[in-house]
This record gives sequence, structure tokens and C-alpha cells, in this order.
Amino acid sequence: MSPLRVILVEDEALVAMMMEDLLEELGCQIVASFGSLTPALEWLASQEAPRLDGAVLDVNLGGGENVFPLAAALRERGVPFVFATGYGVLPESGFAEATVLQKPVDLGMLWPVVETFRTAA
Amino acid sequence: MSEARVLEPPQAGDDLFTLVEMIEDLSSARTVDEVAAVVRSAARRITGADGVAFVLRDEGQCFYLDEDAIGPLWKGLRFPLTACISGWAMLNKQTAVIPDIYKDDRIPHDAYRPTFVKSLVMTPVRPKDPIAAIGAYWAQARQPTESEVRKLQVMARATAAALDSALMHASLTETLERRKFLLRELDHRCKNTLAAVQSIADQTLRRAQSPAHFVEAFNGRLGALSRAHELLTREEWSHASLIEVLSQAVAGFGGIDGERIRAAGPDIHLAPEVSVAMHMTLHELTVNAAKHGALSVEGGKVAVGWSVDMAAEKRTLDLTWTETGGPPPVTLPQRGFGSRLIEQGIARELGGQAKLTFAPEGLRFRLLAPLSTRLSLG
Repeated sequence: MSPLRVILVEDEALVAMMMEDLLEELGCQIVASFGSLTPALEWLASQEAPRLDGAVLDVNLGGGENVFPLAAALRERGVPFVFATGYGVLPESGFAEATVLQKPVDLGMLWPVVETFRTAA
Repeated sequence: MSEARVLEPPQAGDDLFTLVEMIEDLSSARTVDEVAAVVRSAARRITGADGVAFVLRDEGQCFYLDEDAIGPLWKGLRFPLTACISGWAMLNKQTAVIPDIYKDDRIPHDAYRPTFVKSLVMTPVRPKDPIAAIGAYWAQARQPTESEVRKLQVMARATAAALDSALMHASLTETLERRKFLLRELDHRCKNTLAAVQSIADQTLRRAQSPAHFVEAFNGRLGALSRAHELLTREEWSHASLIEVLSQAVAGFGGIDGERIRAAGPDIHLAPEVSVAMHMTLHELTVNAAKHGALSVEGGKVAVGWSVDMAAEKRTLDLTWTETGGPPPVTLPQRGFGSRLIEQGIARELGGQAKLTFAPEGLRFRLLAPLSTRLSLG
């Protein structure tokens, strides 16, 4: 079984490190990991045909920035994604149907997510 | 009736009714703009003037916030307090009554020439400590009547109370908003902190050689996390400054004494999440220096310097941690918590680059990160 190619966006370094570990444990390969929106958008735009199986996106990225523009770009490319947030409810976003994980995220919460990535892949 | 006159001349007896109505409207005004709107619409009717203006005191300036007149006055403009009659009224805390503006040298005549104004009354709002002024203007040179002056002063008194309550309302609203923001932020921070603790526990456990090692490293890291939060609380979760973060991170190891540990650089503000990552990174560097590097021996030194190239197209923070006088550095364990955090954590968070160099004279860490809302000059 080849590893699932996944990207991560999470502004807090410590949390990001753990998410990377958890995703790797669940058989994912972290293709790229970003702490803010712009580099993530630039990376996605620079990929000719990024074969991506999924994305885990922290909603609030600090400095008043949120991840929704990237989510929209991923949706356009048909890449499945889930949100993670420490804020409880998702602000008005246009992604009502998306899965939202409540932080702190653990292996048990990520497992079904990775399974849906796998099914879609 | 002349074409320029928009309103019927006021009828005797209507004044009192209009004044009471104005006071009622003022009492329900919640913002400065609402107060201005009430004054604008009522003042001209009550005084029977050809124009009225509502002027706010804004630092050292008169700000002509609103007006209602037969011709344009100065709406939206600002003048120094010392260069206009509303400023004179506010600075001298008294009403100016001017029957012929061109015979009065308190008036900046050039500013009046394009306007219809020939005579005026200007009265301060809240005379003890004026925060605004109301002016009434006429197109003829004439002595304003005592009744006109009195009416304007009564209006100014009512306006003062309304302005005070609008300002208080604004400050209360701001406080409430701030409280809501802080509660929300606290909830968010709590969850993210738990996630961070979970991460530290997980990663420290993975690489711990023994339970004793785990406890030592875990407690050290937890302590660093806790001190990072302490700093943020001091600034009400708005930001922390880089020098404070560094100072906290090295506090348990002699602190920035200008000798063993030196620091130099401009004031840099870090957003909360950046400040936590920076704190943890500097903590890992410090602990490593104390165990294996420059701070493990007498005479070893750490210099932390940072700068921002103001001429560069993209302003970038350039921070270096340089150890000298210690034993030759040992390579940090690959994929260990410390090295991962140092090399990837903060750089990734800021969209920059970090590099650890194990030079024979000592370990060197360099971080290049573009300035942003999360990393800014103080």
C-alpha cells in the first residue's frame, strides 16, 4: 500500500510537529507542511499536477488570516480536506459540509479522516 | 423666498418645541456621528442661521465633522486649533460673537472668502474642557441677537451631555468587545496549549532514553511553554517582544548578562503563536548549549543578534545564535524534538528559513524570516 500524499497547514509549530507524526503513523506521507496561507497557496499554484490525496487544514492561522482560500483552491482541484480548529464552531465559510476536527486532535480522530482520504484515492 | 434658502424661516414659538425635540434626539444618540447628525439638523432651524457647523476637537486640530448651510463651508477639513475660530472658542472656553468677520483678526479671512459667511457665533461644547464647538453663520454682517447666542449655548450644553455619553458608550462597547475577544482567544489558546503539551509529551517520550530523561526533558519543555504564556498574558495576548522572549528563555541559565550571554537587535514584536514557537526554539538552543555547547564550560559564550535590512525589497528578520569558546559541537539527533523544532518549527511558522551549522568553533543557528503581521518591528 503506497503512502497517501497529504499536506498540512497549521500555524503552531508544536501542534504541526505532532500532526505530522500522527499522519505519518497512519500511513501518510507529508508532501508539504505550511505555517501560513501564502506559501501554501504559492506551493499549490506552482504544482503542475499535484497528486494529493488529502489535506488537513488549521482554520485560524494567526494574524487574522484563515485557511479558506486554500480550501477553495483544493476543492477546485478535487482534493479532499478536513479542518482542524481550537475555536469550536467554524465561522461563516461556505464549507458547511466539510469535516471539522476539534483540537487537540488525536490518533482516534485522524484515523477515520485518513480512511476517507484512502477511499477517495 | 430666495432660492438658496432650503428651510422656511423659523416661526416664533417653534423654537422651544424644536429645542426639546433636539434634546430628546440627543439623549438617544449613541455615537459621535449620531450626535453630529442631530445637531446638524436642529441647530440651523433653532438659530435661524444661514448655516451651522459641528466641529470636533481632534488632538491639536479642529475637525469640521458636519454642516448644514446655504453654501459649502469646511465639512471634512481639519485646521490647527490656533488657526480657526472654533479653535479659539475651545481654547478660550468661551463663545465668540462676531458681527463682521472681516473686521475681526481672530478669523482666518482667506478660509472664509470662498464662503457666504459674513457674521457668526461659535460656542464651545462642554466649556470646562471643550471637546467640540458649534458654529452658526449668517450671510450678512449683523450683530447676532442675545437670543441667538443663548439658544446656541443651550444646544451646546445638551450636546456636551450627549457627546459624553456617546464617548462612554464607545469605550464600554470597546471593553465588551475586548472581553469577548479575550475569552475566545483564551479558549483557543487553551485548546492549542493542550495540543502543544500533547505534542511535547509524545515527542519527548519517543526519543527518551529512560524515564528519568523523559521527566527532565518534559519538565524543561513544559516550563518553557508556561513561561512563554506568562509573557503573553502580561501583554494581554497581543504580542511579546523578541528581547523579552529571549530573556525568559535563557533566564534559568544566567540570563542575558552581556558577558556569557549577549543580545543585540531592534525591538521586534511577535504574535502570540509565533512567540510560543520562538520561545520553545530558544529554549531548545539554550538547553543544548548548557548540556553540550558553549554554556557547558567556563568561558563559553553565546551571542544572539538580529537585524532587519530596511533597504531590502522584502524586509526580513535576520537572527543568528552564535556559540564560541565551547567544545566542538555534537550533531543533534536527527528528527529529535529539539532539532526538528529548531530547524523547521519557527521557520515554517513564519514562512522563512532556518539553518543549524555545526562549525568547529561552536554551534550556529540562523533564521531568516519575512516581516509580517505576526513578526513586525516594534
